[in-house]
Amino acid sequence: MKYDCIVIGAGTAGLISALTLQKKGKKVLILEKGINPGGALSSFKRGAFEFDTNVFPMYGFGSEEKLGEKMFQQLDLQNKIKMNFENELFHIIVTETNEEYTFSKGIESFEQKMEEYVPGSMEVMETFFGLCLDVKEALEYIKTQKTTLDERDLLQKYPNFVQLAPLKVKRVFEYLNMPKKVIELLSVFCNYMGSSIKDLSFVYFANFVYTFISSGPCYPKNTSYEFVKLLEESFKEKGGVIKYHTKVNEILVDNGKVVGVQANNETFKTSHVISNVSPKMVYEHFISQENVPIECIKLENERILGPSMFTVFVGLNKTKNELGIEHTHYIITNTLDSIKEFEKLHQVFSGHLIAHVIEEQNTTQVVLTGMIYKDALKSFFTPDHYFEIKEQLEDYFVTVFENATGHFIRESIEEIDLATPVTYARYTGHPYGILFGYLAKGYDNLLPRMFCEDEENKIEGLRFCGSYGSRLSLFLDLMENANEVALKTFGECEE
Amino acid sequence: MKDIIIEKNSKKVLDNFQDLFVARNEIIKHASKKINTSEDEINHLSQILHPNKIEVVVKKIVEENSLTKSFYFTTEDGSSFPPFIPGSYITLEIHIDNRIYKRPYSISSNPSHLNEYRITVKKEGIVSKYLFNECKENDKFTLYGPFGHFHYNSLRDSNEVIFLAGGSGITPMKPMIEDLLIHKRVSKIDLIYGTKTVNDILWKKEFDELTKKYKNFHIIYLLSEEKRDDYSYGIIDESLLRKLEPMNKTIFISGPTEMYKSLNELLKKLNIPNKYIRHEIYTNIPENLGTKEYKLVIRRNNEKITIPCYENKTLVQSMEENHIDAPVHCTVGVCGFCKSKLIQGTVKTENSCLRKKDQELKYIHPCVTYPLSDIEIELPF
Repeated sequence: MKYDCIVIGAGTAGLISALTLQKKGKKVLILEKGINPGGALSSFKRGAFEFDTNVFPMYGFGSEEKLGEKMFQQLDLQNKIKMNFENELFHIIVTETNEEYTFSKGIESFEQKMEEYVPGSMEVMETFFGLCLDVKEALEYIKTQKTTLDERDLLQKYPNFVQLAPLKVKRVFEYLNMPKKVIELLSVFCNYMGSSIKDLSFVYFANFVYTFISSGPCYPKNTSYEFVKLLEESFKEKGGVIKYHTKVNEILVDNGKVVGVQANNETFKTSHVISNVSPKMVYEHFISQENVPIECIKLENERILGPSMFTVFVGLNKTKNELGIEHTHYIITNTLDSIKEFEKLHQVFSGHLIAHVIEEQNTTQVVLTGMIYKDALKSFFTPDHYFEIKEQLEDYFVTVFENATGHFIRESIEEIDLATPVTYARYTGHPYGILFGYLAKGYDNLLPRMFCEDEENKIEGLRFCGSYGSRLSLFLDLMENANEVALKTFGECEE
Repeated sequence: MKDIIIEKNSKKVLDNFQDLFVARNEIIKHASKKINTSEDEINHLSQILHPNKIEVVVKKIVEENSLTKSFYFTTEDGSSFPPFIPGSYITLEIHIDNRIYKRPYSISSNPSHLNEYRITVKKEGIVSKYLFNECKENDKFTLYGPFGHFHYNSLRDSNEVIFLAGGSGITPMKPMIEDLLIHKRVSKIDLIYGTKTVNDILWKKEFDELTKKYKNFHIIYLLSEEKRDDYSYGIIDESLLRKLEPMNKTIFISGPTEMYKSLNELLKKLNIPNKYIRHEIYTNIPENLGTKEYKLVIRRNNEKITIPCYENKTLVQSMEENHIDAPVHCTVGVCGFCKSKLIQGTVKTENSCLRKKDQELKYIHPCVTYPLSDIEIELPF
């Protein structure tokens, strides 16, 4: 039996790619090493608590554009998921100077709040958001251009975009002559997008920041596991096959073309593979070395891996009110100097975390996430002390939260667990347990990746989706990319 | 948005734009060609901590008493066992008469000795009887794990703790208590260890030595079927528990099902919040099960198999009897490994450990599911 396409990995992107192809009538097989769909988007039970493993909010649902809903609609999932919308974007606590800032969703509200914190900033903020909109529109236009891009045409239609495209966030902030405090408060985003203000492309930043602020954060009511489960069910209902507990040993390549996949001692024939597994793993472990084009190895060697995370899941047996917790999203940072703070993320005990607080039936979940770059992990864990270190880290993150917010939660802990990069490696197989894919830096930012994607696919029939793909790791971009990759594969199937 | 001018020269603007991919190609052209195929240290550690399975050899068998034996395993390839948190269990796969059984056993050895794992088994069911009567040194088995969440956590749990053990429920507690004492992780430990008779007490000598060595460790041996001087008599009741001043102390419980039932009631009566109650996993067989036979259709990898099943047997038990290698680890509806979709039929089951969405989509844990009609399920793999 031959499949039109085999998707490796039932992560969110893998499921979307598979579903897209299948809706177009293709015969698709998903191979997944784990026993549940979702990869990084899942949930787990501890006692009475069900924790959502997706620690960053979904977005794109609450605004007028409703990009997320359009995406869900394409997948026939509209109205199938109940979202909890949150009005608060985040509450920043700067621990060294005891400053606090709260922002809510909506562009106008954001501008007004900024004006309150930095009087006289309204004009520059309006310019900033105006440029963000320009970027968004140009990106939409580029996505509709099927053939190669005509740069002159683009320059004529979107002159601002073409000028902004090569620039990093920091450079644009400087160009706009933003007050220092505005730069600082806007930069808080960067470190949670998996790069720093001096490395991150403005286009990627602007597109996300505008969509996120205008639509606000949201979370599926029954955790993001509900979302991936719906994708999985819908794929299976229409005859799609998922094999769980099935680890791929090899992607079979002959004469530079994909011919099949070998997993659990079985060979599955196909001419098309969409890999939700990172290119790094695929080139280094899934394809026999003589079949890996040298250009692919070179590309891998030039790329830098983004951050991984520590996440402490805390289940408390009290309400938010009883605990005195007011906010929903905390960003806790030592200072507002984003470049200095980015460097701190290369240490395990960075003083940095984001906290998401969810209340449910007289209990509260506090989910604390710290970003971490892999150089800090070198020899950090040893097998013999792994569990001991886990407890230390739990204590550390809870302490940082308690000290910053003044809310003491440890007395009320009913359940607690920590996901480390090792945990993320276990469930996703990503290198070093890194969920953010490659670092957005230099020429490995959004636009170069998008423009070079097709050309860099040196093995015929093999494409990539997921956080290591061309559209990086943010929720909407990742979903859209998975959809596009599937459509390209569909095109090739039809040829 | 009005037009901005960052760069006046339009040729330069276009050059910079094109540079986005031209420079990328150029950089890659000159990159290193070295292929790195070694596993990164984080994935490597994840493999060490969570191997798919462990092939083991029985190195030593010790008869603890007339009904209990300890089995010492080493790995077949001589490597170390995965580190584990005291209180964890492994799943033992055992083949008897062409049937494949998987059973969870607490690791009763200490994680400081990873050259061996020990399990301590009371002669009770099919598998433990086989182990007790047939298993010899040098026999080979496959283990899965370690698994479980029956652990002490210094952030969550109190500084003074209580252990309530019934019979062979003492097995996970042995390494837990030793770990807490040796590493001085708590200020006080009270253990009530209930057995039927004095002879049923496991590791009495070792426990007594621990109480001598650590003044903050106290044991009450409680006999339910024998009256002896120096031993308490009866079962764990309110007055005994109150003596340990249980308020605001974490209570670890491990023992037979009846013990959980009576203690749950007692702890409820004493208004002890859930946060302080930690259970070892346990079997909870529903009462008043019938004996009718039904048909069980199993879908697995596009195949359909039909076998008989019974009202008083779990679906996993029926699969075992019919030579089906069921995906199962904990056997008590907690770990989620056997989670299957119920396609047709009505069942009696326990779903409190299922995720909300799985409950809604009618998933079940076949290891704690009893049929009430003909059944069709889809196994996860």
